[in-house]
Amino acid sequence: MNGWNDQSPAACCEGLSKIFGANEHQTAAVRDVTFQAFPGELILLLGPSGSGKTTLLTLIAGLSRPTSGRVLLFGKDIESYASRELQRVRAHRVGFIFQTFLLIDSLTALENVEIVLRFNGRKTSERRKRARELLRQFGIEHLAAKFPQTMSQGEKQRVAVARAIGNDAALIIADEPTGSLETKQGFGIIELLRRLAKEQGKCVVVASHDLRLRDFADRIFRIEDGRLLPESS
Amino acid sequence: MYALRTLRSQPVRLLLTVGGVALCIILMLFLLAVYRGAADGSVDYIRRNKADLWVLQRNATNILRGSSLVSAAQGERIAAVQGVGSVSPVLFLLSTVKKGGNVRTIFLTGFEPDSGLGGPPQLVQGRNIRRDDEIVLDKSFAQKFKFEVGDEVNLQGRRLKVVGISGWTNAFVIQYAFVTLRFARDLIGFPSLATCFLVRVREGADLGGVQARIREELPGLEVYDHPTFLQNNIQEMKSGFLPLLYTVAAIGAVVLTVILSLLLSVNILERRKDFAILKTIGSPPAFLWGMVIKQAVLISSASSLAALAAFFPLVRLIERVSPEVSTKSTFGQIASVVLAVGVMSLLSSGISIRRLRRIYFLEAFR
Repeated sequence: MNGWNDQSPAACCEGLSKIFGANEHQTAAVRDVTFQAFPGELILLLGPSGSGKTTLLTLIAGLSRPTSGRVLLFGKDIESYASRELQRVRAHRVGFIFQTFLLIDSLTALENVEIVLRFNGRKTSERRKRARELLRQFGIEHLAAKFPQTMSQGEKQRVAVARAIGNDAALIIADEPTGSLETKQGFGIIELLRRLAKEQGKCVVVASHDLRLRDFADRIFRIEDGRLLPESS
Repeated sequence: MYALRTLRSQPVRLLLTVGGVALCIILMLFLLAVYRGAADGSVDYIRRNKADLWVLQRNATNILRGSSLVSAAQGERIAAVQGVGSVSPVLFLLSTVKKGGNVRTIFLTGFEPDSGLGGPPQLVQGRNIRRDDEIVLDKSFAQKFKFEVGDEVNLQGRRLKVVGISGWTNAFVIQYAFVTLRFARDLIGFPSLATCFLVRVREGADLGGVQARIREELPGLEVYDHPTFLQNNIQEMKSGFLPLLYTVAAIGAVVLTVILSLLLSVNILERRKDFAILKTIGSPPAFLWGMVIKQAVLISSASSLAALAAFFPLVRLIERVSPEVSTKSTFGQIASVVLAVGVMSLLSSGISIRRLRRIYFLEAFR
């Protein structure tokens, strides 16, 4: 995509800032952030609630525009993407995992996974087959016909991960993916994300306040008051 | 699938919406049926009349909503015109019938029973009038006010015997009743007046030529051939009824659109997080629009089916309760209403879809 190859950063932030409000009501959610996220690594953005993690994720994914600085998504400045193009990039190359899973209640597990494949432009039979494969891969094939309200939290998050990688995303954005899970389930999910990075070469960017996730990350950035503090290993 | 499941998740709301939309559709179907029934029914008397020419006072174009007075002397002059076979004077009057303290208005038609012209186009019961103390009543009028053959009618203080019941004589807002011309003239106190003359031309005579000759010899009269006169009366009914009925039907369509837009908008607002997620994970706008349009189509289809299922029994019931309401439904009318509902549902979708633009990606992260 745009000459991007899996050796280049999937996402690259340069002097990125995001300010909400105006005049005396201005709040800087992200301040002068610079970092790169490469395929095959799991990056952990660690910070307390309100530190600007989620805002940074939305900037990386091109869901909001920076006040200053720039984001290169798959090698291209997001400002130069047309909105339609950006929508296609998200449909084809970016996967999202949310803190509260955010599965669609009126769709079954299979349909929740399948829907992202639909945006991906696959045919009905093909996307159904792929969705089943993904559920099998995460050991939740038996949930295919179940609706989210009948699943456990851990099951929901697995379906959410399956949905996130359904489109064969190169970049996975995870906002507090373990936040609503018990410790064991949380570790299971982060381990799953780590495997996706290591075995499938995905670039996984996780925002969390959970210090216990440190052991799973390739690189860790602390974020406080919107600033990215020096990288630690 | 999502569209249907979202609707089904609120069954009471769905039911109320389908019911409301169905009622609007029934209203539109009913008004069109009433219009068609009234437009056709009110001119049935004229349509089924065997007159070749209708002769009225100058500038009079119809008998339904216009006045015309002609004299017996003019009738005699018409009869003398070359090619004229017979001339039958007919006098139309608005009159009242009394029953049990209630006064009902009728369109009294005085005609000469022997002429065979101007009388009831169809007798569904009894016989035609022969004498001045007899009357034939319209079927729906007789049904509504419980008159039967053999009953006595008090018409402006005079007693007449009902000898027959006629069909094709319901003009929607008023019904025809038939008496002798002599009785009708006596009622108004002018023994030589009529509203118009019904003219038959001699066999083999040129209709256009006879028409032209009457015009030439009696320049103070209007002479219409049968199709033109029928068209004049239809036009008169249309101009009177159509705007009113169409206005009410249009209000029904607006209400339908409002109900549908409200439901679709509420669904969008309730599911805005779902829409935000779908936007975030890469849904093209057309997919989201499609979901809203599908919901509109599902509701309008269900409502159309419900409306069609209820419409015909409802019409039968109304016609039984109010026999003077005569309706006529055609496939074309039903198809046009269903088409209008389709357009309204697309319009409702369009109104609701605008809300999607105000759902932001970041809502998925809250």
